[in-house]
Amino acid sequence: MSTTTKPASKAMPSALTLHRHAKCSTTKARASTLDLPHGSVPLPVFMPVATQASLKGLSYDQLRDTGCMLCLNNTYHLGLKPGQEVLDAVGGAHKLQGWDRNLLTDSGGISGLTRVVMAMQFSDGISLEIGHRYRRRLLTPEHSISLQNSIGSDIIMQLDDVIATTSPDHARIKEAMDRSVRWLDRCIDAHKHPESQNLFCIIQGGLDLELRRQCCAEMVARDTPGIAIGGLSGGEAKEEFCKVVDTCTGLLPEHKPRYVMGVGYPEDIIVAVALGADMFDCVWPTRTARFGNAIVSTGTLNLRNSIYANDHTPIEEGCTCACCRPADQGGLGVTKSYMHHVTAKETVGAHLLTVHNVHYMLNLMGAARQAIIEDQYPAFIRKFFSDIYQGDKSQYPEWAVGALRGVGMDLLED
Amino acid sequence: MTATTMGSEEAQSHSMNFSVLGSSAPVLAPRVGKLALASRKTLSTPHYVPLTSRGTVPHIAHDMVRKATAINSLYIGLEDFITRKAPAPVYKIPVTDEESRLRKFIAAAPDVPLIMAPRRFPAIPCPPNNTDTSIAILTSVGFRQLEAQQYLDSIRMLKPDIAIGFADLVYGKTPGVKRRGKMVDRTHAYTQDALQKLYGASVAEEERSKAAYFAPVLPLENTQQSLYLEDLEYEFHDRLSGLALYESASLGFIPEALGDLPRLVLSEPSSPHDLLRDISLGGDLLTLPFVGECSDAGIALEFSFPAPSGAHYQREPRALGIDLWGSEHAKDVSTLSEGCECYTCRNHHRAYINHLLNAKEMTAWALLQMHNYHVMDLFFADVRGSIQRGTFDEDVQLFNRAYVSTLPERTGEGPRLRGYQLSSGPNKRAPKVYGRLDDVSQKFAKSQSSVATPDTDASGLEHHGFAKKVR
Repeated sequence: MSTTTKPASKAMPSALTLHRHAKCSTTKARASTLDLPHGSVPLPVFMPVATQASLKGLSYDQLRDTGCMLCLNNTYHLGLKPGQEVLDAVGGAHKLQGWDRNLLTDSGGISGLTRVVMAMQFSDGISLEIGHRYRRRLLTPEHSISLQNSIGSDIIMQLDDVIATTSPDHARIKEAMDRSVRWLDRCIDAHKHPESQNLFCIIQGGLDLELRRQCCAEMVARDTPGIAIGGLSGGEAKEEFCKVVDTCTGLLPEHKPRYVMGVGYPEDIIVAVALGADMFDCVWPTRTARFGNAIVSTGTLNLRNSIYANDHTPIEEGCTCACCRPADQGGLGVTKSYMHHVTAKETVGAHLLTVHNVHYMLNLMGAARQAIIEDQYPAFIRKFFSDIYQGDKSQYPEWAVGALRGVGMDLLED
Repeated sequence: MTATTMGSEEAQSHSMNFSVLGSSAPVLAPRVGKLALASRKTLSTPHYVPLTSRGTVPHIAHDMVRKATAINSLYIGLEDFITRKAPAPVYKIPVTDEESRLRKFIAAAPDVPLIMAPRRFPAIPCPPNNTDTSIAILTSVGFRQLEAQQYLDSIRMLKPDIAIGFADLVYGKTPGVKRRGKMVDRTHAYTQDALQKLYGASVAEEERSKAAYFAPVLPLENTQQSLYLEDLEYEFHDRLSGLALYESASLGFIPEALGDLPRLVLSEPSSPHDLLRDISLGGDLLTLPFVGECSDAGIALEFSFPAPSGAHYQREPRALGIDLWGSEHAKDVSTLSEGCECYTCRNHHRAYINHLLNAKEMTAWALLQMHNYHVMDLFFADVRGSIQRGTFDEDVQLFNRAYVSTLPERTGEGPRLRGYQLSSGPNKRAPKVYGRLDDVSQKFAKSQSSVATPDTDASGLEHHGFAKKVR
């Protein structure tokens, strides 16, 4: 089956405004502000993932304190628990969880390719075998949108057909891309609240740049308020990932936000920002916190390691999160030694490190944004990599050097 | 109001001052007091003491403790901080002269009184025996002996505001007659040694510990520890700042001369009714393991003292809490308890807690814990008001009529427990596999009577399963 470039079957109102403030004069990085129904989000942004309408033990006041303006819920999980009926009765996910800022939901398909469900694609939907309930459900674009309408998230995602980018089956990748485009039309038709919820399309096409180009053309023509680049972070080589992001952002309109799904390591995000992407999400920073790993500017610290048992310094010196800030500056003054003492032993250990890691990611994005506004982004990237690799340029990942060279920046230059 | 009891003229030489308000009798009566520690929050008693695990109030992150709760003291077991390698990190954190290492290590607020004891509460029974100079403790890396000297050094180094003294306790079984005698002798010796080394005449004035010392009262009958109690009264009194009672029954025989000391009751009240009984007997500081247990079980406490509004019209006594696991809460957007102004109820509703419990999200326990502590804050404030008004006895009766006497049954799963969090009670992690010896041990337990010589004849013994009659 082939798809034709045609305008969206129904006019697509937008519930967002993107104010573009600055563009890096070297790379493709952009700094902007995204006005959404529940507040303004500074871009580029990292969105922490509150899978089941809760950010892993944190209260929403703690999340607000980190500066978070936009976080994720997962449609798949909320569809199972508490279920659409409860969501409708309570009045949506904002009211369910007491979060007055923005929410983004995925489509409920198999984002990230990591979920423990058996999924099979059919022409009219995704059949999900729901592991712990042994029940098969067919998730159609209509059902996905209906669920996301009940959730009431500020940004909703179309149902897309994701297959592993590493799949060798080119015909299958093409089919998935075509199907995603068709499903987008059905999502647009099914969307009941376009004036309050922004539907984002998802560019598919595996690692085939030609397919990605076709998909961009098809989907841009449908004029959704925002655009996501999907199907990545599924184990492909970082070089390939960068090429896809670079290719797609080159074809996307400047005035729409661009969301790269499931990307979350600081290095990946910093490079992807240089390639022109605006929004990122990943469970890694919060998940790794629960395992006792703190994200700091030099990489990650496994605080369960006994070398931290007697390290009485903050998780990161100079960090302004509630944990690291010293007591005389109104913080808690938590030390690595105390985190070693409670991590993986008390739920509070997970809470504290989650606060730190979310704060780190948001702070990193804030600093990147500031650098873009000051047109210092290349210098920012150099400092960022230098901190991680202690200035040893031979250690810099080749994919990052290559990708940045592609947007006119030499990472290895002093 | 005036401080009336004899202790008010700063009998305690330390930075702690406890004054009893009103004219209540020094013992065996409910009383309202103020426990003031230099540069710490003053506690109005009766008050509860939140129990900690590894320096945290379980499930409530430090910033939320400060912002969203009224928690104003912490009970900390030193055993949580002992590690395989000595000295443990808590002893090595750099501090200024005045700072408490313990406070800095656990990142506690500067004005929260820290109450340190050798063991967590409730403590888990340890197979190793206590000795004349040490007690058995359970650390996160296994069983250890904590030397009395190390505990005294810890009091000096860690600078808690209040230190609870060593006691030779037997957990999980009733001690025999000989063991009981030993408990008293050892506890007496521990106390004497501690007071000598911390505050004794031979210790230079400026070297004396500033921690307020709470001497243990053993969970034994009055007669069995009378010599120890006498010494507390006559010999140790001026160096004591308080008493730590390991069962509420001990409230019944505190010598009147020790009535000026605050009493920390380390008991496990099974319900607010038990708690009220302890308060009516003169408990000042109380521990409430049931609060955390309810939070873990998904139960939101819902009671007020003396009775809820409109209690006159109710026929059946009310439940003390609601189990939020129930599907009837799935769409209920009302607060956990009516009119509650705690952090949880101001921001969330029953449907959310119900969802979080079902989704096994940690946030459920955090929110429930904050709510449940708030309920206890109001409860204790009302209890103090009632005692001051002189209507406590009637109010307790009103409460007992208005509410059922047991907390709701646990139905749902709680958070995963670690070894050192397990209690030997019914919520043991795994059921016992080997039951063959239980019968024998039961018979053995039955045979343990409170006096040394059995007051029965051979047939009686045989009946008890203790021995077989010969001839």
